[in-house]
Amino acid sequence: MSFTHLHVSTAFSAHYGVSWPDELAQSAAADGATALACTDRDGLYGTIKHLKACMDAGIDPIIGVDLAIFDDDGDHRTQVAGRVVVLAHGNNNGAGYRALCRLISDAHARTSGKAGGVVPVAVTRAELASRTLDTQTLKPVLTVLIGPDSDVGRAMGGRKYLRPRTLFKQWIDAMPPGTIVAEAVSHLSAPGEPLSTAHAVRMLKLALEYNVPAILSNAVRYCAQDGAPTADVLDSARTLKSLPELSSTPLLQPTGLLQPTGQGWLKNAQQMLQLGKEIMGAAGQGAAGLNKLLSNTEALADKCRIDPVLDMGWKKPVVPEASIIGIERDPMVELTQRCEAGITRRFPGINGNAEIQMRSRLQHELGIIDKLGFASYFLTVAEVSRMIIEMGVRVAARGSGASSLVNYLIDISQVDPIRHDLIFERFLSGRRSTLPDIDIDVESAERHNVYRKIFERFGAERVTLMSMQNGYRARGAVRDAGMALGMDDGEIGEIAKQLWRFSARKFREALVEKPELREFAGRVEAGREGPGGMEENQQLDLLVDLTERLDRLPRHISMHPCGVILGDATLLDRTPVQPSGLGLPMSQFDKHDMDPMGMLKLDVLGVRMQSAMAFAVREVIRLHPSKAEVVAAGHHPVEAGGTGPDYIAPDGRIDLNAVPFDDEPTYELIRSTHTLGCFQIESPGQRELIGKMAPREFNDLIIDISLFRPGPMKSDMVRPFLEHRHGFAPEVYPHPDLKPVLQETHGVTVFHEQILKTFHVMTGCGLDRADEFRRALGDELHEPEVERYFRREAIKRYSPDVVDKVWGTLKAFGSFGFCKAHGAAFAVPTYQSAWLKAHHPEAFLAGLWEHDPGMYPKRLLVAEARRLGIPILPLDINRSQAEYRVERIQEGQNSGKLGIRLSLNGIYGLSGAELKRIVAGQPYDSLADLRSRARVSKPNIKRLAQLGAFDALHRDAGGTANRADLVQHLQALQGSPSKKGSGVIEGQLSLPLGDVELRNLAAGLPEPSMVENVRAELDLMAVDVSEHLMESHRPLLDKLGVTTADKLLGLRNGTEVLVAGVRIATQTPPMRGGRRVVFISIDDGTGCVDTVFFHEAQEESGPLLFGTRLLLIRGTTRRTGPKGISLSASKAWDLSRPETLPYAEVLPPGVGLPPEFTHSGPLEGISRNLAITGLGS
Amino acid sequence: MGLFSESVDVICTDVGQPQEIQWKGTRYVVINEPLRWYERRQWWVEESRAPLGSGAGLVDHEIWRVQLHRPQDEEQPGPTITLDLVRHLASGRWRLLRIHDAAPAQAVEPDEAA
Repeated sequence: MSFTHLHVSTAFSAHYGVSWPDELAQSAAADGATALACTDRDGLYGTIKHLKACMDAGIDPIIGVDLAIFDDDGDHRTQVAGRVVVLAHGNNNGAGYRALCRLISDAHARTSGKAGGVVPVAVTRAELASRTLDTQTLKPVLTVLIGPDSDVGRAMGGRKYLRPRTLFKQWIDAMPPGTIVAEAVSHLSAPGEPLSTAHAVRMLKLALEYNVPAILSNAVRYCAQDGAPTADVLDSARTLKSLPELSSTPLLQPTGLLQPTGQGWLKNAQQMLQLGKEIMGAAGQGAAGLNKLLSNTEALADKCRIDPVLDMGWKKPVVPEASIIGIERDPMVELTQRCEAGITRRFPGINGNAEIQMRSRLQHELGIIDKLGFASYFLTVAEVSRMIIEMGVRVAARGSGASSLVNYLIDISQVDPIRHDLIFERFLSGRRSTLPDIDIDVESAERHNVYRKIFERFGAERVTLMSMQNGYRARGAVRDAGMALGMDDGEIGEIAKQLWRFSARKFREALVEKPELREFAGRVEAGREGPGGMEENQQLDLLVDLTERLDRLPRHISMHPCGVILGDATLLDRTPVQPSGLGLPMSQFDKHDMDPMGMLKLDVLGVRMQSAMAFAVREVIRLHPSKAEVVAAGHHPVEAGGTGPDYIAPDGRIDLNAVPFDDEPTYELIRSTHTLGCFQIESPGQRELIGKMAPREFNDLIIDISLFRPGPMKSDMVRPFLEHRHGFAPEVYPHPDLKPVLQETHGVTVFHEQILKTFHVMTGCGLDRADEFRRALGDELHEPEVERYFRREAIKRYSPDVVDKVWGTLKAFGSFGFCKAHGAAFAVPTYQSAWLKAHHPEAFLAGLWEHDPGMYPKRLLVAEARRLGIPILPLDINRSQAEYRVERIQEGQNSGKLGIRLSLNGIYGLSGAELKRIVAGQPYDSLADLRSRARVSKPNIKRLAQLGAFDALHRDAGGTANRADLVQHLQALQGSPSKKGSGVIEGQLSLPLGDVELRNLAAGLPEPSMVENVRAELDLMAVDVSEHLMESHRPLLDKLGVTTADKLLGLRNGTEVLVAGVRIATQTPPMRGGRRVVFISIDDGTGCVDTVFFHEAQEESGPLLFGTRLLLIRGTTRRTGPKGISLSASKAWDLSRPETLPYAEVLPPGVGLPPEFTHSGPLEGISRNLAITGLGS
Repeated sequence: MGLFSESVDVICTDVGQPQEIQWKGTRYVVINEPLRWYERRQWWVEESRAPLGSGAGLVDHEIWRVQLHRPQDEEQPGPTITLDLVRHLASGRWRLLRIHDAAPAQAVEPDEAA
């Protein structure tokens, strides 16, 4: 016999289910089951994975949901009365699945989509009843399982029989006939407890009494017994209570907080039969009763078997109706015509061979699109693109979409694929039936507006956001495991801090390997010594095990950072939706579910750099409102007798996309490696590569970006490339036929496109098949086939040597080369950002500060302004705005220069409303004026004073006191009650007295020190403004003979030095040979020092590697290129604890310590790690 | 744990039900259909490891309520005793959990009040 489990939670029931759909399906199939249900809590989060898992295992999927039901007698907004399982009927052309989707969307419709919302995910019984019948046929399409967690089941505790009977009767009365069954479950808990056999018996008896069919299930949460402890930990994470707390709570709520036993696993058919026997025995029923129970179960299972294709539209692409984008005729005709129109725009005056080549390419692409029937897909994307451009938002296509001439002609992409030799087949070919990905980058600040506009344009029934699953990673896992064990929060936090980018599953392995965990590993060991060991460490071993158990389990879904799903009017019949934090509906499906469900996903990604560049362009025009002024300010080229370049409009507006890719000052800036803030080329590794490569033209940028990827870096493609490029070694081609393919990269295979062409040139396979071969590379299953084919075909024309050699290259590089189209699409903003930095650095940096696009903390970009000699203008209550502003300095030593004024935005504690009121009411003539008109809270007035926002006002008032006096005065005021009605009475003029309060302020305190000012800035803005935070450490560093970043370049290779600075980046990229290498970059005020810690140095530095903010590092210089130098570290110390430095070791002989060597600097006592150093706390 | 300090030897039937037990040097036989259920353990206190793949028995253990008498009582009915025995799932070892009053225990499902 076989048994079908109809109530199964997968891991996608967040904080509830333990096992993955494929484990469950495999396990069920191995036991001879012919079907398996997936009934996740609150949604279809695991359903598509379940579908695939069942198809792979050769069994039928059954789908459903485990949903809470509102209490009919309680408050419909908040009170629920238990949970039921709802199963969709199958083989009815999707009627069951549709009803299920809509039901789940109903359940989420009232929730806020934000964490901690008060409205639970639930439906009313009336809503449930109305969804159980098909709207057209009025036949049942859903079945509801009334089980142990329903209001009926929960009422079975205690001694009353009447209550469960009443509740069951209510279900029968409320639901259409034939839509409910009773679900008997026993987890064999103690008699009288929830999920005991006795309760299952009661449920059976109720069913019998009312003539409702009863079925047997095991309410499964894990595949095997081994999952039970994981479920306990998840119960703890869900309820936010430790296991000791949970287990001491009386089980008031039946099946409530903690599972009563560990019996909720996917029992096999034999075990389920035994369980059924036991229940029936206890019920006093014999074999006939048991047979009936089991046959009911199988009959329901049969009714619910889902046909993935007919019921759910498996892999059938669905795009918006052509009519919705205003197309009446055949979409293919429309697309062809739009491409024609694009030719005159994109290729004005094209003729001769170039035209023939272009037209034949266009025919080729259109032919494939026609064959696949994807014309309306392209028109849809073009429509979205056009809409964004019309909004005045910067937009750029990214990814392989740039390989298409059609995309270029209909304005989806900005890269000419012919000029850059990009291959259409890398994007789409007749041999692929899934919708291709087109990714669109927009300004990050406008992303949500773009989403809203798409909803508006296509209609809410055709659009939803895509979601993503957030799974446990090491830090979250150790936190929740620690909480379950009832460990101290602070202690767990300390442990979590040391976990650095490895999967939770490998925690125990990491204990052995990673130096930063050595201390923790020691404590685990100590705890293991049992009662004699350190008592507080006894749980640590368990902590490691539980952390590993949680690895990757989904915690919650959230809005995907860029995915928007577009469909036709039936979209909401095919995916359940729930509110996102943004308010717009979000699908319960993630990116892996898109292809299986035939859903068209558009990636509309918010790119901060696009916002930063748009901001910079606006600042330029604001400061220089005419072409002549912009040309002068930006030192743009002017031809004799001309007025400057065409990409600058008469009103001073710069059309960034029209700037030619040949600007020499831009390449000079790039070659200088001072590329902080530039898109894609600011990381330590990229600065090193740029320094070595010295790019001269746009194609160099494409190559640079493509080389700086894990694959090429790992497989040592960079070194030979550079050697050939600089002519140190002759270029080598395996065969002259391949020279045209590999010439641009000096014989080294870098791009996917080159792999495709290599296959094609040597085997004549065609580019579409070549792309399939490329995909198979690195795939254990399919690679051998590709190798056989390649060798067989290539040997017909090439010598065995050549074939061997080329195959070696393909095999080694093929799986992780980079798509040139990606590189080309990325290189555009790279070039544009470098161009802005070279010509309009003030506006560009202001844009960077405003939108914070890069990998570094903002404070580093402020330091970069300081390095460039751009004045940083302090916060000023009358001059600072809600955003960073470039300002022409009127007085003082920098008079006439452009500086950047700090923004009032982002000050700790200052609310958005206060910010708006301050800006709306500017200028202010006194603090009283500020209080009355901007209604800024007392603590925030004090904070503004600490940051010097009133210094100018104070000076103008003519008082003798200083900032410290003012802060003290405001501090004192915080304690006193506010006077009401101190504002100016309507109709009465306020006298322009200036600020009496400031003028009369008593002077008494010493001026705050620079360190105090910088500390306040770091504390409240996470940026050091008045001076670099390393400045105050300088006396000690000078004594130690520390070398600064600007001096490093002048040193010989291999010089041993000490460097010191604040951490700005930490990276552990995958490395050749597998041994971890840690890159730490620090900023010392004169620039960045990039250091690398190899194994030995990691051992030496231990816990300092990841936790510390201020570092003193010893190492030897490594010259990486004409403009590049880095440090190979040998050891690091924590500079914020100067008393712990080994002075005997590091102090030069005969040098004494400066008097205040124990000074801890402005960072002392500041906990805002993430914003300051990029370190999560 | 203090609760079940006493070890007992149990002989089971083919389907794993207790049949005979050896307690305090005396042999007893099970006279009624025994009652079986599972109870939670405070595994986070009692165990120091819970690695993936540790299998059954971490979260709960098996409890058997058995009614016993000595074999010689069959001739002349003597006092029956009721014991709760616990079987540790991982090791298969049996211990005594509780001793009930002499009154024979029936099914413990609480009965309807009215």
